[in-house]
Parts: sequence; C-alpha cells; structure tokens
Amino acid sequence: MSICSEWDKINPEEYVGVWAYLEVEDGSLSEAGLQMLGVARLLASQKDTYVGAVLIGRGVSSLAREAIYYGADRVYVADDERFEKYYPTLYGEALAYLAKEYKPEALLVAGTMRGREFTPYVANILKTGITADCTSFEVDSAAKDILGVRPTFGAYLIAHIRTLNRRPAIFTARPNVFPTPQKDLAREGEIIPTNPKVVDAVGVKLLGRSRFGRGAAPIEKAKILVSGGKGLGGKEGFTILEEFAKVIGGEVSGSRKAVDAGWITHDRQVGQTGKAVRADLYFAVGISGAVQHLFGIREVRCVVAINKDPDAPIFDNCDYGLVGDYTEIVPALIKAVKKIKESS
Amino acid sequence: MNIFMDIVVCIKWVPNTTTVNIDQKTGTLIRSGVPSVINPHDMHALEMALALRDKFGGSVTAVTMAPPSARLGLEHAVGMGCDKAVLVTDMAYAGADTLATSYTLAKAISRLKFDLILVGQETVDSSTAHIGAQLASWLHIPYLYYVVDAKYLGDGKMWVKRMLEDAYEEYELTLPALLAAAMHLTKPRRVKLSHKMRCKEEGVIEVWNNKTLGLEVNCVGLKGSPTIVKKTSFVAEVPRKKIVCQPRDIDQAAEWLISRLVEDGFLKI
Repeated sequence: MSICSEWDKINPEEYVGVWAYLEVEDGSLSEAGLQMLGVARLLASQKDTYVGAVLIGRGVSSLAREAIYYGADRVYVADDERFEKYYPTLYGEALAYLAKEYKPEALLVAGTMRGREFTPYVANILKTGITADCTSFEVDSAAKDILGVRPTFGAYLIAHIRTLNRRPAIFTARPNVFPTPQKDLAREGEIIPTNPKVVDAVGVKLLGRSRFGRGAAPIEKAKILVSGGKGLGGKEGFTILEEFAKVIGGEVSGSRKAVDAGWITHDRQVGQTGKAVRADLYFAVGISGAVQHLFGIREVRCVVAINKDPDAPIFDNCDYGLVGDYTEIVPALIKAVKKIKESS
Repeated sequence: MNIFMDIVVCIKWVPNTTTVNIDQKTGTLIRSGVPSVINPHDMHALEMALALRDKFGGSVTAVTMAPPSARLGLEHAVGMGCDKAVLVTDMAYAGADTLATSYTLAKAISRLKFDLILVGQETVDSSTAHIGAQLASWLHIPYLYYVVDAKYLGDGKMWVKRMLEDAYEEYELTLPALLAAAMHLTKPRRVKLSHKMRCKEEGVIEVWNNKTLGLEVNCVGLKGSPTIVKKTSFVAEVPRKKIVCQPRDIDQAAEWLISRLVEDGFLKI
C-alpha cells in the first residue's frame, strides 16, 4: 500500500507497550497524569504488555520512583536543564523523539491545557493518528487495536476512533474522567534515563508568569459542589450558593451559561467545555441539564437538582430533585443543615 | 507604526450544535434544517486578526477547507472586514481527519504571504483543538494556544499573553508564528454591508481545488488520514434514583433531603 510521501514508513508490529506522559506540576506528578497511568495499566493488562511512563523537565528524575509506585513498569526520563521551561514545540519534539526511539504502540496524555496544546504537535511529527478528549478506551477483539472513545458533536454522540497502521496511536483524555490509581510502595520497575535530541525552542520566549489567586479550591478536587446556572437569574444568586457551600463544606461551581454571563469564572465551569468533576455530592441549582453539562457530572455519585421548571432535563438525570424557587429552597437547606447540627 | 502584518485566519463553517436534535428512532443526528455558523471560537480569532490589522496595518485573509457551501462562512468573514478569503475545496479532501486537514490547509497557506496565523481554540462540532498545533508543525513555526492578548512590537516580534488553568503567561514570539485565540476575548464585530458587498468583486473570494494545490492524493482526504471513526453510539445515561418532588412545605422537604444525604453518606454534618 502506498502512503503519503511525507510519512516515514513504519512497521506497526515493532510498536509495543502503552505509555502515559506524566505532567509535572509544582515539582510533583499531576493528578491528571497519574490518571493516564491508571488507564495505561488497564490497557496494558488487556494487551499483555508493559506500561511506560515519560517524564520531561528539569530535576524530574526524583519523581521516577513515584511513577513506578503508581503503576509504571518502565520510566523514560528526560531530565535536562533544556527542559526547565515548557514550550509546546520543545516538549512536543522531545516526546516525539522518545516515541520514535522506544516505539510504544499507544501514548496517553492528560488533556490539561498544556496537554491539549503539545500532543497534536507530537502526533504531527510522527504522522500518526491522534484522538482528543477520550472518555473511555476499547481494545478491539480482532485487531487488538486500542480505540479511543470520545464525545463529539457537542456531546450528543460518542465516536469510537481507531488509528490504522500508524503507531503510536495517540490519545488525550479529559482530567478527572478516570480515577487516580492507588499508590503501591511495593511495586518495582525500571528507570531509563534518556537524552532526546531536540533543538531549543526557536522564536518563542517566556517572559513571565503570574499565578492568579484562586481563592477557592479547584472544583475538580472538591467532594461536594454547589453549582449554579442560568436559572439563578443573576450574579447575586451565587451569594446564597456560596453560603450553602460553606455550611456543608463544599465548593461553588457553575454551568456554561453562568460562565458566559460572567457570574462565575471559567476555571469553575462544569461540563463538556469546562471540567469533568468527580464529587460525591453535586447540587445543580437553576441548571437545566443540557447534554454538555450532564457530560461533566457523569462521575458524580449523587446529583441533587433544584429548578423551578419541572420539565427541565436535569430532573431525569438526578438522584434527588426539588421543583421550586431556589431562593426559597436553598435557604431552607441551610436551615435544615443548621438544625441537624444543633440537634446532634 | 507603518510596519504591517499579513494575517491568515483559519475558520470552520459548522452546524450550530446548540440546535441539533437526535432522531430517537433511527439514532441519527437530524442535520437537515440545522443552520451553519462560523465556529464561535473562530469568531474570536477573526476579531483578534482584524483588530491587529486595524491597529498595525496589513491584511487579513480568511481560509477554510470545506465543501463549497462554506462560501457563506467566508462571505461572513469578508463582511466582518477580512481583505480576502480562500475556499479550499475538492472531493479528494473529503473524509480528512485532523492530520490530513492540517496538511491541506498548511499547503494552501504556504501559497499566501503571511506573518501570523490565527485559529480558534477548538471547534464546537468536533472539539479536538488539533489543527493549530498541527499547522505549526507542518509549517515549522512556533505557536501558542489560549491567547487572550497580543501586540505587535515591530521588528518581526510580538508580545503575547495567554491564560492557563492557574496562571497568565507572557511571551515574546518571532514571526512567522501561529496563535490560537481564547474564547471571550472581545466581542466579535458584526458584518457591515459595505464590506460584504466586496464578495462580488473578483479575487476577493478565491476557490482553490486540488488542481491549484497539486497535492498527492495519498496525503489528503480519507487516504491521508490515519484515524477512522469505527462507529458512533449514544451517550449512555448514568443510572440515577430520580426521586423528584414539588414540595408544598419547603422546610420539611429540605430537612428530609438533608437527612437522606447524611444517611447515604454523601454529607457529613
């Protein structure tokens, strides 16, 4: 079969192992990256192959052991001062180099903002297939290919995507859709120091970085979320949600419509264009329950809906629902919590 | 400043996903009668490009790879103030995944004079956010996503500010480069009739097919795509208890709910 002359000829049979790229955040392995390691473990056991982890950065060698505890059999480490700063082209070339050198059949990268930025660059260097924002994976029974399963068309449909004849098959996956694997201090593995031959990032220079004060804890880590939508009617509606969240030890989040209206910041948006959350308890207040929103709360254990519209789709997708005016219901909930606190 | 930049903006003409419906019987998307729009993310890229041109001088060319009906999207872009537009269209390009699409677009863009390429952050129909990075790779130029602000510094350099999950970052970029504009940057401008009239002038909207580009058939469309959609399915509903009531006594309902959540172990008081 003739292939595009821009593509290197490869032998897919030579590619074995499932890799996860581990993002480093403030000197430790990011939760999102560890979740990829968990997925890699599952896929590797179905394929009867090894799990590889990749670490790129300056001083990242010290994290290699940690990667083994979380499930890696082999850790490929590119620890070099050249990688002190992240640039999409630089990290993209380094990861592509390692994939060319060690030939894994699949590569998983967490779809954090950086992950979504540099992974398509890796795929393009290798002229291989990339599937974005996977929410599950399948191993094809006949061909043994790994398929990425992802929502498409505004989360109305799920597409099962296969990479034919090109390796590694590359996937990004939404943070928090998959669980973080257990740490096992008894696990053993091999640490492989590497030296990717890449040119320094050309034409791009980081001048400065300023963290924005995140007053509240990130929503993806919250156990309880009180989330507001268009039905709040205004920014002031969040005041009562904040009070409720405080009383029950939760955090406040919002729907896309609340973010679009400027009532809450994008980093607190739940849904397909925001974040997937894994809270134990989720209050959807004045949120109608569009498919894109439901997509973000699939992993929530208990959904409570409060909405004045009895026909809102959220009521077909909740565990408990109260139909009514949130300005009456939420204060009543606060009162009920206080009452129980006092009596116990 | 009389230095100017030639900017290319890539746009996609997409079905308006907020109005899509599903045929519950056949399990397919009802696409007929669904109006198309310029991908909302691309509207921000267009606005950023036009604002840069208005401030620093130069030109803006909108480019899309699509079936011929996407001409309407380019007319909209010209109506917003783009100087030129290019429709890249050929049956050979059908069925392209992001690798083949970015290849075709890169080859088309290479025929244009450009200092800067702007793209939207992602599309609302397929949401991959691949094309920006892949274009940069084919064209061997630096790139950054999530750009909220950009200025031309002169001397072929730009200052760029972008927003990540928890931080703003500032960069200096040497042109040519590619930027993906973040959503909610500024409100994209409206179409002006006087601009839109230009669509009728010769050369404002060009149509390029594979005779124009002369690309290998193995590199484009379905043949140039390493990925295929094996099947599509519906989003499985998460099983939920669905205990819903419209309470007359709100306090009583609230107490019932809270104690239930405590019993279930979701709430610790």
